[in-house]
Amino acid sequence: MAVTLKINHQDRTVESPAGTSLLTVLRDELGLTGARFGCGQGRCGACVVLVDGQPVPACTLTCEEASGRSIVTIEGLATGDTLHPVQRAFLDEGAVQCGYCTSGMILAGVALLERVPSPSDAEIRSALAPHLCRCGIYLRAIRAVRSASR
Amino acid sequence: MSRIEERLRFEPDGTVTALSGKVEYGQGLRAAYPRIVAEELGIAPERVHVVLGDTDQVPWDMGTFGSLSVEMDGKELRGAAAFARELLVARAAQRLGCAPSELEVENGIVRRRGDGRGVSFTELVAATPLAGVIPEEVRLASPTPTCPDSPAGPDGPDMVTGRVEFAGDVRLPGMLHGAVLHPAIHGARLQSINRAAAMALPGVVAVVEDGSITGVVAEREDQALAALAALNPVWARAPVESPAATDIVLRSDPGTEAALSAAPAPRRLRAAYFTPHVAGAPIGPSVGVADVRADRALLYGSTQVPFRLREQVASITGLPADRVHFDPRAMSGGFGRHNASDATIEAARLSHAVGRPVRVQWGRGDELRAGPNRPEMTAELEAALDAGGRITGWREEIRTNPYTYDVGGDGAGAGRPPLATGSREAAGPWGSPTQMMAMMAGRNAIPPYDVRRAEITLHITPGRVRTGALRSLGASPNTFAIESFMDELARAAGQDPIAFRLAQITDPRLRRVLEAVRERSGWTATPRRKGLGVACVVYRQTCVAEVVEVSVARSGQVSVERVWCAVDPGHVVHPSGARNQVEGAIQMAASWTLLEELPHRGDEVTGSTWQDYPIATCTDAPQVIDVVFTGDDTMPSLGLGEPPAVPMAPAIANAIFDACGARVRALPIRPDAVLRALAESSELPEPGGKAPLRPGSSS
Repeated sequence: MAVTLKINHQDRTVESPAGTSLLTVLRDELGLTGARFGCGQGRCGACVVLVDGQPVPACTLTCEEASGRSIVTIEGLATGDTLHPVQRAFLDEGAVQCGYCTSGMILAGVALLERVPSPSDAEIRSALAPHLCRCGIYLRAIRAVRSASR
Repeated sequence: MSRIEERLRFEPDGTVTALSGKVEYGQGLRAAYPRIVAEELGIAPERVHVVLGDTDQVPWDMGTFGSLSVEMDGKELRGAAAFARELLVARAAQRLGCAPSELEVENGIVRRRGDGRGVSFTELVAATPLAGVIPEEVRLASPTPTCPDSPAGPDGPDMVTGRVEFAGDVRLPGMLHGAVLHPAIHGARLQSINRAAAMALPGVVAVVEDGSITGVVAEREDQALAALAALNPVWARAPVESPAATDIVLRSDPGTEAALSAAPAPRRLRAAYFTPHVAGAPIGPSVGVADVRADRALLYGSTQVPFRLREQVASITGLPADRVHFDPRAMSGGFGRHNASDATIEAARLSHAVGRPVRVQWGRGDELRAGPNRPEMTAELEAALDAGGRITGWREEIRTNPYTYDVGGDGAGAGRPPLATGSREAAGPWGSPTQMMAMMAGRNAIPPYDVRRAEITLHITPGRVRTGALRSLGASPNTFAIESFMDELARAAGQDPIAFRLAQITDPRLRRVLEAVRERSGWTATPRRKGLGVACVVYRQTCVAEVVEVSVARSGQVSVERVWCAVDPGHVVHPSGARNQVEGAIQMAASWTLLEELPHRGDEVTGSTWQDYPIATCTDAPQVIDVVFTGDDTMPSLGLGEPPAVPMAPAIANAIFDACGARVRALPIRPDAVLRALAESSELPEPGGKAPLRPGSSS
């Protein structure tokens, strides 16, 4: 079936079987691989994208459910060559090791700061908590979101 | 014997390409290697690019593990760059008609002091590229200069924008998707499948049974997964062979028994410790893409051992190894898990069977059921103290499983062939399989203290579940036992745990890290409301000491609040990257200490999601991780990725004892374990008794 998705402020029409996950559409149909496959169970945060501004694991949403809503992926965050302040902060804090959790973490930080421009340490931690990282960059990610906040 | 042209290429645009068989999965090699080359060549690190792990371009490498990348391959690159500099200066001397001693190197130009006449590296290599064997003794820049620090590596911008391509992102023309059956029971054999049911489903191209794996290939990934489920496999436990144990005596000093029995009961302690199976649990599960043709094979995938993978796929396909190309992409943090290239080998088998490119993506359930786990460990320790609180005798028995993957073959169900006899790796860099097992399971089994007389024995039996390496091999389990026991001995001797350790240490570098964390943590400042614990290790040659501050809630819930870490890894190549590794190791080890245990009943894994295997999240992260490097730049660079993980478990356990008097001798330290230990602490048996020990007990 044909589904039209609004992704990174552009309408994209894809031909996918009903029930296909948004993650599969992003990665296999649209080549937007910045959302990573981690568990397919919505429990690791690696595939998180923003859906109407909220961080949502793309593996938990079908493309029909995603249709008509505004979806932002990591690829749509920078403006040209200018990084989003949260992306910039992750670089400046060196909050990266293997990079597998990075897309989701950054988008979670972006969503938090949209909602709460000056979050507390506890708010930052709980916003990032759904994002598992085996390399252990948690403290740096927390610092990065804090430094990007107002 | 390495040749310079295998290691460095001077490009026409003035950049330098450095070649290494190591792979990057977050350790920061893409940042560290250019800096090493730049330090010796006297150029900016931005002018050095690295090619890592591409089997068509880089020299053979045994694999990326053991915190050896900077220590060993970094040393090779440093030697290559220093030798290149010598050759370039010699060429410039000839060109400028002066003595090499009159020349200096600055920013890619060899210049004559005084008149300033110079010639660039590019000009010097334009006609004849540098070539030749890198001599054993090459003069290095001394003291080693350090390039200006930078927080992220050169791959940072691609990571924060999502542009970085992971192996799982590769899509080849005509590519199919494969999926392979993995039993929850370790080593189980397939009795039957419903082949027809799978073949009848849409998009299914083939059901493949090649003797090693049973899987399906379909047009789409969801179709492959549906077909796999339709196979409806029936498994049977394979006949259990009586596990062959390998006993290895690491130390056996005469008079140990006499020293132990001479000590009066209060100064003779025994205790037993246990660490469970810990899953590799990479955030990105094993993945591979393979395009196997009649005359060549191309591979992408998560692997820490590109050249071993190449040999394995050559043996599966019958292709010569030099017709198998592994082309690396970014990879999820591995920490030993990707020493087994599971999904890539499966992809190669499926591609070989169907003659088209195939991608295999393991799911979370596959990882937990069939991925490798850190071996279990049980340690029984016994020691005697003299009247002054010095250790006079030490007995240690460790029971654990192998940390190796392919040596001797195994039955993990992932279809890994044994290594070809006579292969470079089968010969092994470290000798016989027994020596290798002693090196891996026995890592840090010998305490770094002057214990006078010791008997230390390893008993290695196959694991009930699949086992393999995880960040530091046996060092973390062994050090949990030894450093927890050292704390118990210090208490028995009535001494401060740091002073007790310092009194039995001769290594000045180890003393220095302990003194550093004592000072930075405010160790001696009293009173303390929370618990502080200490532990240390000499991991290969890297010295680490850690002090951990914990709070223990009434529920038994432990929070790691602050961590102080002092490390001596010799010359630090990239300070920010090095700190990142130390912090990450601490965070990961805190996770396995407090939370992680593979859910299994005997040989059957009983979980398949992150709910069944929780790891630490941002809410568990400490408030502060304070890192100080105490090494100096006259020493070579040593390993750093694994060592700081090692002291965490005992430092946490010791801090819990300091906080509330609960001595927890088994991991993970969940709230119920703390409450149990607390209850036991009020009813301690007589010291020196001879009752049989079980993990978590003492006498």
